[in-house]
Amino acid sequence: MSGYAPFALTERLEAALGDASDPQNPFSVYQCVRLDERAEFPAEICRLLDEVGLPRFYVHARDGGELRSYEELLQIIRLLSRRDLTVAIAHGKTYLGAVSTWLAGDPELRGQLATRVLAGDAVSFALTERDHGSDLLASDVTAHRDGDSDGDSYRLTGEKWLINNATRASVICVLARTDPAGGPRGLSLLLVDKRRLPPDRFRCLPREQTHGVRGADISGIEFFDAEVPASALVGQPGHGLEIALKAFQITRTLCAGMSLGLLDHALRIAVRFAMEHRMYGRRLIELPHAGRTLAEAYADLLTIEATGLLATRSIHTLTGELSVTSAVVKYLVPTTTDRAINELSKVLGARALLTERYADGAFQKVDRDHRIVGMFDGNTLVNLTSLVNQFPVMARAYRAGRVDETGLTIAATLAEPPREFDAELLALVARDGSSVVQGVPAAVQEIAALAALGEAPAALAAQAKELLDLVEEVHAQLAEYRPSARDVPTGVLRLGRRYAHCFAAGAVLRFWLANRDSQVDGPNAVLWADAAWARAAMARLLHQLRPAEDSDDDSDDDVLDRLIEPLCAQYEGDLLFSVLTCRLPGAGS
Amino acid sequence: MTVNDLEARLGDPADAANPLGFAAVLDADERGELLAAGEQALRDYNFNAELVPAALGGRLVQADRLAHTVRAVFRRDSALGIGYGVTSFIVSIPVWTSGTAEQQAGLAALLLGGGRVAAAYTELPHGADFTRAELVARRTGGELFLNGRKDLINNVSRADAVLVFARTDAAPGSRSHSHVLVDRAMLPADRHTIGPRFRTSGVRGCLLSGIEFRDCPVPVDTVVGGPEGGLGAAMETLLRAFQVTRSVLPSMVIGGLDTELRTATRFARGRRLYGRTVAELPHSRTVLTGAFLDLLICDSLATVVARALHVLPEQTSVAAAAVKYLVPKLLQDAGYDLSVLIGARSYLRTGDFAIFQKHMRDIPVVTLAHASSAVCLASMVPQLPQLALRGWDEDAAGHADPRVFEIGAELSRLDFGALALTCKGRDDLAGELLVTARELAADPVLGPLCATFTAELRYLRTRCGQLPPRERTVIAGRRSFDLAARYAHVLAAAACLGVWRRGTDPFLADPRWVVGALNRLAVRLGREPVDAGDAERFVFAELSARFDGGLSFDLIRTVLAG
Repeated sequence: MSGYAPFALTERLEAALGDASDPQNPFSVYQCVRLDERAEFPAEICRLLDEVGLPRFYVHARDGGELRSYEELLQIIRLLSRRDLTVAIAHGKTYLGAVSTWLAGDPELRGQLATRVLAGDAVSFALTERDHGSDLLASDVTAHRDGDSDGDSYRLTGEKWLINNATRASVICVLARTDPAGGPRGLSLLLVDKRRLPPDRFRCLPREQTHGVRGADISGIEFFDAEVPASALVGQPGHGLEIALKAFQITRTLCAGMSLGLLDHALRIAVRFAMEHRMYGRRLIELPHAGRTLAEAYADLLTIEATGLLATRSIHTLTGELSVTSAVVKYLVPTTTDRAINELSKVLGARALLTERYADGAFQKVDRDHRIVGMFDGNTLVNLTSLVNQFPVMARAYRAGRVDETGLTIAATLAEPPREFDAELLALVARDGSSVVQGVPAAVQEIAALAALGEAPAALAAQAKELLDLVEEVHAQLAEYRPSARDVPTGVLRLGRRYAHCFAAGAVLRFWLANRDSQVDGPNAVLWADAAWARAAMARLLHQLRPAEDSDDDSDDDVLDRLIEPLCAQYEGDLLFSVLTCRLPGAGS
Repeated sequence: MTVNDLEARLGDPADAANPLGFAAVLDADERGELLAAGEQALRDYNFNAELVPAALGGRLVQADRLAHTVRAVFRRDSALGIGYGVTSFIVSIPVWTSGTAEQQAGLAALLLGGGRVAAAYTELPHGADFTRAELVARRTGGELFLNGRKDLINNVSRADAVLVFARTDAAPGSRSHSHVLVDRAMLPADRHTIGPRFRTSGVRGCLLSGIEFRDCPVPVDTVVGGPEGGLGAAMETLLRAFQVTRSVLPSMVIGGLDTELRTATRFARGRRLYGRTVAELPHSRTVLTGAFLDLLICDSLATVVARALHVLPEQTSVAAAAVKYLVPKLLQDAGYDLSVLIGARSYLRTGDFAIFQKHMRDIPVVTLAHASSAVCLASMVPQLPQLALRGWDEDAAGHADPRVFEIGAELSRLDFGALALTCKGRDDLAGELLVTARELAADPVLGPLCATFTAELRYLRTRCGQLPPRERTVIAGRRSFDLAARYAHVLAAAACLGVWRRGTDPFLADPRWVVGALNRLAVRLGREPVDAGDAERFVFAELSARFDGGLSFDLIRTVLAG
């Protein structure tokens, strides 16, 4: 293959950040575990990231930064998370704080913010409150327009809590009630410059002690009638919730990078152990049960990668569908990764729980850290509910066979750069459903045709056909769902989970179809030969869609066990665990 | 003494001034220390007496009661449960099983006097593969010389005695190891070293270290069972002792899920989202009810198997491993679902719900202690074909001895020597399921639900009967592990059905909880649940009533302090 362009950035940054396995390196796994133990903010590492120029990727190109494709931001988050999620959050959350302004701010506000971000200032996003959590509409922080309605400032009062970088950030984007009557148009976003507030007008709350990411600045901020200029308003008054939800569509999709990085780390530790450790007279990796567990985690990682890459590219090319895409990713990816890490812990046994003295004590940290990914920026339930609320449009769009074939093809085809992102195309509801899912029938047809020509394995075609039956079944159920005003019944959430798995399977098929010709050579050729990785990924997803009872035949066995060899090859070759090639000198293994 | 006595000594967990309350437990955990006041309270209660057979002056009569009693400690603080009690339990069972009368009396006296013992089994290079353990005890005249090291030993740095699993024969195989029970005081200081502490993500207060012996002499009569009978007998002893420890230990840990569920319920009751409490959202009720049912499934399986140690001791070698596999899995999965429900507050180490994250960290460590799920499944696999052939025959099935299901009823003392090394294909619990299914065939709800599990057993019978020789060993492939795992679910269903049918307590005698429980198990097997009618509403009402009434969520519904 032609190299995957964003991995060139990864390789360059990896080199700049130094060997992750060298304890002397400040940004090594060893040092990050020690910081976590001491619950110390990774300030020195953040300075290093500023020096290597990461903030430029938090600013869109039109505002003077280098963010052109979200793929690059995804890979940055992935590489940071592979070393330490606390760092990824501590530094990367600046993008979360800034994104609303990039999407909706006027040029002047964007310019001001760009200057600050490029100077290395941290920006924070203050949405949640102590008593309301994910119920953003219930926000109590208020911003009163000063004096008459033409006044040129707001007065901000109230507390935001459990906010990443609320204390360390110098700029903070605050969701506040601007209409006392409330409602969806009652909230606005204000980009507050803490440096310009008198010290007696706000107070940063003490850092919370957390289960994982112990060094992160997860705190809060309270405002006391603090005056903020009207020019700090992000977008239109009353549009705060809408802007925030659109911003989340992007950041929830990018969360896949965190899971990818952490799962790479966990899997690397487990593979190392399984290659070294002996049991019943042989290497652990040669024991069928242990080897299979590793292969399953690897297949899950590759599934997440294909889904995450396609979804991230679709920010550019299927922008209007992002309310579905982001909810699928933010539900499915963390949940799958939590499960995979848990399974890997069983391979490691007691070593999975040691905070030192094996693999720098990193495994238990990865396990604790990753648990937050499913919680912040809209938790699993919020995302499943968001899917459920869109069932009627999904059902209609599927019946109508609506597919943006161009957008979908570009999203899947890595060789082509995705077109420029247009924030105007973001929508709160995906009126056209999801091209990935609605495109399953066409993908299945294409694979069947290829199989007839001998260009796709018959086994993949059989999996695709099975998927199609399941997708039909899921949509028949979607069509029957009648949304009620308040209650989302439990069974419907289960349907949301099934839909998300259908999406991932559709993404895997598209990703394989679009890139199979460009990947025949190189170190990962064995992953692409006979569609090995795609078949393993499909086996995992189909297993979730139709658990156990019908999987009597042993066809999954072979396809998963075949992944052990490329897994070990990537481990030993210091390559990122990926369907694509990315070199990691000193991968920390 | 009763559960309530121990619970009363632990006091109100929510009382910030209680030196044994959650606030104190969390503080100790943050410092990486075992709760000193907790250790003192357990000493005052003479906790160790729970572990010593009545015949030797203690209070141990019944395996299921031991677990139910100790659960009080695990509801409060798993680190205390492990750090104070369980290690001694693990040491004592092999001695009660195979020790000489003198060794038993000696250990009983030590424990009853408040002494500590440590279990030195783990060698990091070999993990659970005990047959390859390398620490050597070489016999020279009247002495043994110990050479080698063990790691991850709870309390070894402060133990009065250490039970060492040692190689006494260089030959491979199952007659090459012996248990050696050494008195720390008699070990020459220059011949052994206690290693640095191992720190863990959960049970942070526990004191895990290694011990290394260098030509360390101990008298030969330290061999458990005596130098004549005991040399080479350790593996066989373990095969018996594991049946007790694997049934009882996971059952103790159910207390951890009780606290997680109680914490989640408290959160859901108090938290308002979208204009009402979280507890009023249908999904939340399903999650809470599901966790409650999982807890009842765990307790049914663990309690029935613990009672079977008394009643069906020739049949518990596989069932005990099934408990140790399935109960930890259900506990962790239920805890995960509850963490999603609680959301961010399940992630905070301070505040009103901080005890949740502590249990979430502790339970994986505690359940891993002793044997991993893979090891348990691997130990079940070799017996599956014979069970399939003889034990899962629908035509030959009969009721199990009803005493295994009679929760709370007294049983005669545990006879360690009666525990058989293999089941020889006997499986009265599966038989109970098959007979129950026949008897309930006409029931519109339980009929089809039982049929789901008999169908599963039929499927397992076919598959296990066809396993090729290699797939019947500990190095079997995934397929064999899956079969063992699925069989554990069938055993759990059998246990739930038995507990319901013999239930005297009005809740346990109501079919709705068992419908809910069997539905949970069916879904885990990838099989269709039945329409449970108002089962969820009924079970949720029970959960709410127990929450309000301060009653434990397990089968014995004990009164909690506070």
